[in-house]
Amino acid sequence: MQQTVVQQARVPQPRTSELKKRLWRNRWLYVMVLPGILFFIIFKYIPMFGLAIAFQDYKPFKGVGGSEWVGFEHFERLFTEPDFLTILVNTLLLFGMNLLFFFPVPIILALMLNEVRLSFFKRTFQTLVYLPHFMSWVIIVSISFVMLTSDGGIINELLVYFGFEKINFLLSPEWFRPMYIIQVIWREAGWGTIIYLAAIASVDPQLYEAARMDGAGRLRQVWHITLPAIRSVIIILLILKIGDVLELGFEHVYLLLNSMNRDVAEIIDTYVYTAGLRQGQFSYSTAIGFFKSFIGLVLVVLANKLAKKMGEEGVY
Amino acid sequence: MKKKKSISILVSVVLAFSLLISACSGGGNGGNNNNTSPAPGNDSGAKTEETAKPEEQEKPAEITIMLPLNTAETPPDTIKNEIEKLTNTKLTYQFFPADTYEEKLNASFATGSLPDVTYLKNQATFIQMKEAIRDGQFWEIGPYLSEFPNLGKLKEEILNNTKVDGKLYSLYLGRPLARQGMIYRKDWADKLGLAAPANVDELYAMMEKFTIGDPDGNNQADTIGLADRNDLIYGAFKTVSAWFGTPNNWGEMDGQLQPEFTFPEYVETMDFFKKVRDAKAMNVDFAATSKTDQINLFTSGKAGVYIGSMQDVNSLVKDLVKNVPTAVVDTHSMVAGPDGQFATWSIPGYNNVVLFPKSAVKDEAELKGILAFFDKMMTPEVANMMYWGKEGVHYTVQDGKAKAGDDQELTEREVKGFKDSVIGEPETNGMFEGFHDLPARIHAEQLVLENEKIAVPDPTAPLDSATYTEKGTELQELIKDATYKYIYGSIDKAGFDKAVEEWKKRGGAQIIEEFNAVYKP
Amino acid sequence: MVEDKTFGGRLFSIVNFTLLAVIALVTVLPFLHVVAGSFTTSAEMAVKKFILVPTVWSFDAYTFIFSTNTIFRAMAVSSGVTLFGTLFSMLTTALMAYGLSRRDLDGRKAIMFLVVFTMLFSGGLIPTFLVVKEMGLIDSYASLIIPSAISAFNLIILRNFFQNIPEGLEESAKIDGCSDFGILFRIVLPLSMPAIATISLFYAVTYWNTYLSAILYLNDSAKWPIQVLLRQIVVLASGLEYSSELDAAVPPPDQTVKMAVIVVATLPILLVYPFLQKHFAKGALIGSIKG
Repeated sequence: MQQTVVQQARVPQPRTSELKKRLWRNRWLYVMVLPGILFFIIFKYIPMFGLAIAFQDYKPFKGVGGSEWVGFEHFERLFTEPDFLTILVNTLLLFGMNLLFFFPVPIILALMLNEVRLSFFKRTFQTLVYLPHFMSWVIIVSISFVMLTSDGGIINELLVYFGFEKINFLLSPEWFRPMYIIQVIWREAGWGTIIYLAAIASVDPQLYEAARMDGAGRLRQVWHITLPAIRSVIIILLILKIGDVLELGFEHVYLLLNSMNRDVAEIIDTYVYTAGLRQGQFSYSTAIGFFKSFIGLVLVVLANKLAKKMGEEGVY
Repeated sequence: MKKKKSISILVSVVLAFSLLISACSGGGNGGNNNNTSPAPGNDSGAKTEETAKPEEQEKPAEITIMLPLNTAETPPDTIKNEIEKLTNTKLTYQFFPADTYEEKLNASFATGSLPDVTYLKNQATFIQMKEAIRDGQFWEIGPYLSEFPNLGKLKEEILNNTKVDGKLYSLYLGRPLARQGMIYRKDWADKLGLAAPANVDELYAMMEKFTIGDPDGNNQADTIGLADRNDLIYGAFKTVSAWFGTPNNWGEMDGQLQPEFTFPEYVETMDFFKKVRDAKAMNVDFAATSKTDQINLFTSGKAGVYIGSMQDVNSLVKDLVKNVPTAVVDTHSMVAGPDGQFATWSIPGYNNVVLFPKSAVKDEAELKGILAFFDKMMTPEVANMMYWGKEGVHYTVQDGKAKAGDDQELTEREVKGFKDSVIGEPETNGMFEGFHDLPARIHAEQLVLENEKIAVPDPTAPLDSATYTEKGTELQELIKDATYKYIYGSIDKAGFDKAVEEWKKRGGAQIIEEFNAVYKP
Repeated sequence: MVEDKTFGGRLFSIVNFTLLAVIALVTVLPFLHVVAGSFTTSAEMAVKKFILVPTVWSFDAYTFIFSTNTIFRAMAVSSGVTLFGTLFSMLTTALMAYGLSRRDLDGRKAIMFLVVFTMLFSGGLIPTFLVVKEMGLIDSYASLIIPSAISAFNLIILRNFFQNIPEGLEESAKIDGCSDFGILFRIVLPLSMPAIATISLFYAVTYWNTYLSAILYLNDSAKWPIQVLLRQIVVLASGLEYSSELDAAVPPPDQTVKMAVIVVATLPILLVYPFLQKHFAKGALIGSIKG
């Protein structure tokens, strides 16, 4: 938008009328976009005045209008929190693992599913792998507990049976991250394939035909046709995922968190919960959320720039 | 108003689209034609109603009540209709899931849409609300109490615990002071020749014997003593710490209030748990064990001791006897500390309060109308209806006590939702005590009364500390972590002391100061 | 598609098939545990912990949850909200996504950035509640749909799919005298069925999982969707934080009831997927439609 305004100001007549003409020609496109824009203004941008409370000593009964302004006090509190650095590092590490170990899994799984030729099995597998997505974290964590506990859990019983030492999965800091990431993969990988399968479905079958004529094997077809076809979706999802950098699933982490693994398991979201929400510290919670969003924004802008440099379209 | 217009614009724009589409070069395919779908959703949007405007002139008084829902679903109107008849009111109950009740409470509060009668969730939400109470958002009811004979019966000492700056704003929901104790396998104890533990040493001996003595007689080392969970307060720890003589949250040391974890008894308790865990006489993963898994350990016949609310015994026995038909369970609570003294901890006598927002209750007359309703709730007739249900349907009277009916599901559906909203307690509102036929539960009820005699109250219950309100929960995590780490042996006494120092440094010292400033021994 | 008959191709198929079978098994086992758990007694669950086939069969859990009409009512609400919500969302999202996918639309970048921005920053619960209240949506089903009509994520994905349609197709349609609306509904949408099916599924699942908006915006519990009931039972039965402070006077629901309600609340949405699945094979269209 800004760009066009600048253009309008600088460039004399002919350009402007061209723009006008284009705007008129595309009038129905604007009509199409309008309800969406109204939606975002009403339900997303108007409520954003609520972010102001990050800079206030907000009291629900006084409202945003009546509460006292305190500037960056809450941010100072956050940054001077003795555990702040640990929490931030924990969050980033968990995010990094998520990106590294989880993100590629749905892509690989989707490619594998796509290579199943028998449509009955293909559909069955698809349906089965996406099942876990519908189980809440409470259930998943409680099932994991039953399997992993050293008080008679199946895995530990097996370890003992085969002559190994019991492993304290649930309480040891070293096992928290692997446990977290495995559970995320288990629950979300199948669900994550859907979007890629849709992208793969849009690939023109003639391309495969042609590749086979050239004698390309299955793996080469995947590499040279399927993967490039879903590249733009991958990039988009990657950028959006990076924006979600600090969203690691509060409920999930909170359920896995305990006093023995807190040093690695406490992340920003769980900290907000104990330090902010449970004590009714709305302003502090909002300030922490603001900080999170800000990091996300910076990363998205960077990732998008990078994508564009690589010749991709990017998100915006 | 302006925004209401914009929504209708939004909808009509969308509608106009669907017309436009069909206009495009003749008939799209069938699927595209039913795009007018948003309409039904929006119809109902038009008929918005504000919360019932109470009309005072004629009875019955209309009252809207918001309260947490602790059952699977909202109860039907069966009981509500009866209460309306008994109290001459027109009631609107708005139940919201307890799990997310705070979100609803805060959103309603911030938007001025709290109803006439607002139940909070627990003591923690009450503490959070105190600031708003001081700001005058809720009616002060203290001065009116004397006008209502039944409300006047509410216990003075508990009312004091709920006062804010010496003024009363709320009615309380009473709870027995000290329900905690132990539930244990009497059949195991008898088999191993053990009596109910008279002191903490015998308690340890029992747990150890239950672990190594093969109490279930299957020649396998597959039993443990204690089943505990990831909760230092409602799990076993706090109760055992009270038996050791640790004060209840705060205690007096050299004339000053100090937090419990600075007392040597607290450390002794940690040592006790460390010893139990090291001996594998409890579930070693207890720091990560949920209540469900804890209960499963007991009901599957693996663990022999459960420490917590003794009233849990009914649900524990129910499943246990299905798995181990020969199991016999008993309750016990008189466990002496190393010095031979008996003690236990107590709650401040309530678990929740009711407030009356000024935004909904406009004037004194209206407030009195509502208080009159609560006054009637404090009569046996109404209290029994809310707590036990209809006599003959949901319960019968036996020996002057209420015996729950056979159709437990019916009671659970129709009555339980209201149970948690009865103010006062049997002594003050005159409702029936429960009739029990499970011996262990009858014993538990006696022990609850015994407990009251040795109960140690939390001296800070009626006190306020701004720092505690702001950071208390967060700081408590430090101590909680250190306690578990000590029990698990990953830190020693020096490490624990360091955590306590850290607690003081981060605001604990201020909390101590603030509490002592308002504390009058 | 022709099966390729080379040795490498076969080996590839076998390895691939085996791996997927193992993965499918691993994902389905816990689900079977939930199903099996719903057909047994809580006493057996305490002993067995992980059940695949109950030794003691019991239908008590189902009898319990079906003994009132609450669950039926909640399912009806959820179904209605899911159906109308998905249609409404798809319409608004597709319109906006198409508009923004056209490279000749001035301001598209700025709009996209502002959309992405809402994914990162949000005003929070209370301000949104105020807007919904001001619009008079409180206590109406519309409050579950309109405030969450467009998901920025879905919009971005759909726009990306639209962008990948060769522009030539649209150009020639335009020359044939079709309006922008005509292009969208007669050319772009039919060509994007896999994407439409995917995004519809995403919306449907989101609407089916509606929980917090229901609690916040609907005071009348008769209007609550299934998730409220589901979560209430799961939380109570799991003995999570809150219920640990509860009275023993209100013992939690059985574990088996928890499992049963999960099964009942999950089945309907699970059935949506196979129904949409056929659209994932429609990519072949691109070749067959003339430019």
